Order: sequence, then C-alpha cells, then structure tokens
Amino acid sequence: MFDLFTLGIAEIFQLNILLIIFVGVVVGILAGLIPGFTVTMAIVLTLPLTFGMDPVAGVAGMIGVLVGGMSGGLISAALLGIPGTPSSVATTFDAFPMSKKGESGKALSLGVWASFLSSIISFFLLVSIAPQISRFALMLGPWEMFSLIVVSLTIIASVTGDSILKGLIAGLFGILIATVGADPITGLARFTMDLQALRAGIPFLVVLIGMFAISRLFVSLERKEMIQDDKRRQEDKLKDIEFKLRPMKTLKNVLSKPGTLIGSSVIGSIIGAIPGAGGSIANIVAYDQAKRWSKHSEKFGTGVDEGVIASEAGNNSTVGGDLIPTVALGIPGSAVTAVLLSALMVHGITPGPLLIVNEPNLVGGIFFAFLVASFWMLITQFLGMRIFMKVTHVPAHLLVPVILVLCVVGTFVLNNRLTDLYILLVMGVIGYLFAKYGFSLAPAIIGVILGPLAEVNLRRAIMADPEWTLFFTRPISLAFLVLAVLSILLTVWQNYRANYRKKKITHRPQ
Amino acid sequence: MAELLIGLALILLSAVIYFQSGTFPVGDATQLNPGSFPKVIALALAILSIILVIVKIKELVSKRAEATEINRKEYMKELMIEYRLVFITFFSLLLYVFLMQFIGFIITTICFIIGIGLLVGPKKKKDVLIISITSVVVTLSTYLFFENVLHVRFPSGLFF
Repeated sequence: MFDLFTLGIAEIFQLNILLIIFVGVVVGILAGLIPGFTVTMAIVLTLPLTFGMDPVAGVAGMIGVLVGGMSGGLISAALLGIPGTPSSVATTFDAFPMSKKGESGKALSLGVWASFLSSIISFFLLVSIAPQISRFALMLGPWEMFSLIVVSLTIIASVTGDSILKGLIAGLFGILIATVGADPITGLARFTMDLQALRAGIPFLVVLIGMFAISRLFVSLERKEMIQDDKRRQEDKLKDIEFKLRPMKTLKNVLSKPGTLIGSSVIGSIIGAIPGAGGSIANIVAYDQAKRWSKHSEKFGTGVDEGVIASEAGNNSTVGGDLIPTVALGIPGSAVTAVLLSALMVHGITPGPLLIVNEPNLVGGIFFAFLVASFWMLITQFLGMRIFMKVTHVPAHLLVPVILVLCVVGTFVLNNRLTDLYILLVMGVIGYLFAKYGFSLAPAIIGVILGPLAEVNLRRAIMADPEWTLFFTRPISLAFLVLAVLSILLTVWQNYRANYRKKKITHRPQ
Repeated sequence: MAELLIGLALILLSAVIYFQSGTFPVGDATQLNPGSFPKVIALALAILSIILVIVKIKELVSKRAEATEINRKEYMKELMIEYRLVFITFFSLLLYVFLMQFIGFIITTICFIIGIGLLVGPKKKKDVLIISITSVVVTLSTYLFFENVLHVRFPSGLFF
C-alpha cells in the first residue's frame, strides 16, 4: 500500500507532469464553462495529444481535465443560473438565488471550496477502497468476471436514459459494434463485409468521438438550440457582475457544515463508483439528501450555504468514486474513464484487477494526479475566475467548425487511416439518432469497451469447463447475476409505479 | 414513429448478425465458436427491439385516436427548417473528408472551417476576418504540432 504512494509521488511530482496536470485543469474548467462543449468532449479530444507522452503523464493530464471540468460548471451555474454542464444542474438551485441577493462572490467561493474538499475526501475513499476491491477481484474466475460485466451493463442501462429497455438496447448495440473485426480467441474475421478497413475492428475511440463529440455538435446546430444559445448570450452581456471572493471567510463557512460536506462527498463517491451514474445524478441526489436532513429545509432554494456545498461536493466527489472500479476492476464507471482506460490500452497496458500489482507506479500516479489536480483546481479557480468568465463569450460559429476539425484530426491521428473518418461520420449519425430518441449513449460506449471482455471471459469459462450451469452454482457469480436481474426488475417496477400514479392524478379531476 | 423505425432497423440488424454468425467455422464441441457470442447478443437485441416496437405501436394506436391529422407537407417543411444546419453540416463534413485525400489537409481544413463558420454565424466583414484568421491559426498549429511532435503524416494532396 505504501509503495503505491511513494511510487505515485515519485511519478507525479516532476515539473513537467505538474505542468501537464495544470494545463489539463484549465482546459477542463473551460470545457465545463462553455455551454455546448462538454467535459467528455474535452477528454476525448485531449487523448490524441497524449499519444506522444508516457502513460502516466497522459493519464495525469486527462485526470486534470476531468477534475477541472467538474468544477467548471459552477461559474455559469452561480452567476447566470444556467448549468454549463449537466453535472451542475442542482448547483443553480441555491447558488443562483445567492448571487441574485448580491453575494455572487460567496456563492462562487463556497462552491470552489466544496469542490476541493469533497475531492480530498473522495481521494481518501479511493486510495483506501480501490486496492481492497482489486485484491478481491483477483480471486474471481472467468465465470465471476462475466457475471460482473453483465451486472455492470444492466446497472448502466437502468440508471441512464429514459427507459431501461432503450438502455439495454443501446448496450447490446455497443457490444455488437465491438464484435466487428478479429475474433478475440481464434482471430477469425467477423462481420467485416469483406472491407479491409474493418478487419482490425471498429476502433473504440472512433466510436467515442463520433457518438459523444460529433453527435453533440449536430444537436447544437438544431434551430431550437441556436435560438436558445442566442438568447443566453444576450442575457450574458447584461450581467457584468461585480464580486469579491473572500476565500478565507468562506472556508470557515464550509467547515462549519461538516455533516453536509462529508455526507455529500460520500454520496458522490458511491454514485460515481456505480457504472453509468456520474456527476449529473450525484449533484441532484446530494442536494436532495442535504435538504432532507437539514433543520431548515424550507429555506433551500433561496440561497443557503448547505445547498451550494451539497451540490458541488456531490458532483466533484464522483471523480474519485468513478476511478475506483476503473482502477480496481478495469470496468469504467463512465464514458470519461472509458477514455482513460483506452489511453492505457493504446500504450499496451491491460486494465483489470492485475493493474495494481503489475503497474503500481501507474496506479499511484493516477491517485496522486487526482490529488494534485484538486489543488490546481482550487488555485486556478480563485485566481483565474475573472478571466475564465470572459471565455463564455466564444461564439458558437467559431466553436463548432473548430471542434469538428479537432474530431477529424483526433480520429485520423489514431491509426493514420482515412477510412476511419468515414466510420467516424457513421458513428456520429448513429449517436445523433440515439441521443435524439432517448437511447442514452453511455451504455453503448461501455458496451463497446466491455463486450470483448465479456466474450473472452465467457469463452474461457466454457473452455475450462463446458458445464454452463457453473455460472449459477458458483456463489459470487450467482450473486452478480441476481443483482443484474434485480436492477432490471426494480427499474421496471419503479417506472410502472410512476406511470400508475400519473394516471391516477390525471384521472381524478374528471 | 421514429423510434418504431429504429426498432425495426435493429431487428433487421440482429437478424443479419444472427444468420451470418451461423456461417462461421465450428470448432470442437468443448468450446464456444466464434459465432456463438454474437448470436446470443443478436438474439437478445432482437427480443428487446421487438418489445420496443410493440410498445411503440401500442402508443401510436392510442394516440391516433386523439391526434388530428398533420399535413405531411407542412411537417416536412418544418423538419427542413429545424434541421437545415445539421443536414448541411453533415454533408459538408462528408465532402471535407472525401476531398482531403485529393487536395490535402491544410487547404480543405481552412475552407471547411470558414465555410461552416459563415454558414452558422453572421456574415459581416468583421466576422469573415475573424473566422479566416481562426481557421488559418487552428489548421497550421494542429498540422505543425502533429507533424513535428507526434510524427503524423497528414494527407498532402495530389498537387504537392
């Protein structure tokens, strides 16, 4: 355990790596701030830049982007009442009223402190839990790994999107995308339609850039969105708000509410660790719980300290939680950590329970990059807030073509192949249609990354022992499968109940 | 309606995958064939898509009773206005990628950024200047960075 720390410290505390993390944090904050530019997009586009670096430096930079991005949404949420990213929706509930009362500076610095302290709490959870989980995972055979992947996918499908049916469809579609190309065991070419370009499979990153970046840009080009964007910018110009940050005074405010801070951070870390659930859910759940436990819950929504602290602590602590299954099991908790894993794979490192044993310097590096990124986030937010605010004025007509070009470049750089660009376009269209009709993209992406892993484990299990009932007789495997079925049934039941209630309410007045 | 079409497309896709999986060579009986896993997944996808289609048809039938008939032409027109930029951008992107191998990365990229920028944004003299400068700076800096630092060779086109 302590080797992990010393190795990690040695990896991260070098001038160039500290600088890379700093740049990552700034990029992340900007991505979180600019409406229409998401953190996932920023991570995807930074990936090609990291090919030339060594793995630790590349991953450290990406963690910087992630941490920065989670706190970047705060600024527009507090000052304008518009969440810059989906993870800061609940932040607007209390931070915006507070800034309307003329306390913008207080709202911002409360948010920054809550983000920072919750990151530290989730860092401690990460370093204490991840190694235990990976030690446990080392005992799992192919049967258990397969069942674990099944449960991860059903959970992702049940927490995202508008229905579990669509979530599961998206996940299975993702798995099918991953079956194109060479069969992982025998190397036989499958579903390539005799195209040379598909023989090596559809590259994961191309799917990711297409589904998350290109499709998002298409959405922002719809007329509805353009009109909304224009309106937002006009409002934006009216509000050149004066504010004072007073970091020391607000630190005391935050520390005087330890219950809210710690509670929200733990909620955020747990939600972050669940595959598919991330900042956007944690932000709202943490806020809701803080409200429920508060002695003056009726004041929530009018600009109380706890509201700001809970919502920002909730979304920032998901980063640490998200890294737990990513590092310990090789199962990414979100699209963002999926990119992180694929960055490792580009460097020839296989993620999984063995990662901590085989690459302790890398895992230590990931831990400490997260810690350092949190400090950089604190410093840059307090010193650079005013500069960051100016950047929200970058107009969409500059942003869209430039990001489109960066997507194309990023895809091309991956394999140096022009044919990948056509795959990118197809994936962009599929992602756009999916997002448009309520199929969430997260299960599809996680399906692409976990599909081959599921297949390899399934076939290894059968090879080791052709008896397929072992999946149900080995206790841990059975437990995972039961959990998978439960996660589906529970969501279906919840939907049914919600619909039933809705019907009751609409029928009553007649 | 669109969800119905997506459902049908997915059923078709899973059928294709399922039957193609049957054509893969079969190994010995103690292990799974290359086709087994895709077959299972395709089957699951087909079942879920059928459920989706049934749910959507049910919704459609119950809605048909109350909804008034919308003019198809009006609807298409509305659709074109709403998604005009999406369509144009998609086809420009396709053209950009296609032309890149003939004309080269630098020229096509500069043209693409200026084209989309003017299509989406305002077209005053000042805006044209800003977008032109941005396009040149972005194109050259990505080109130089990837060529020199990561040694990526971008398509240079037939003329150079």
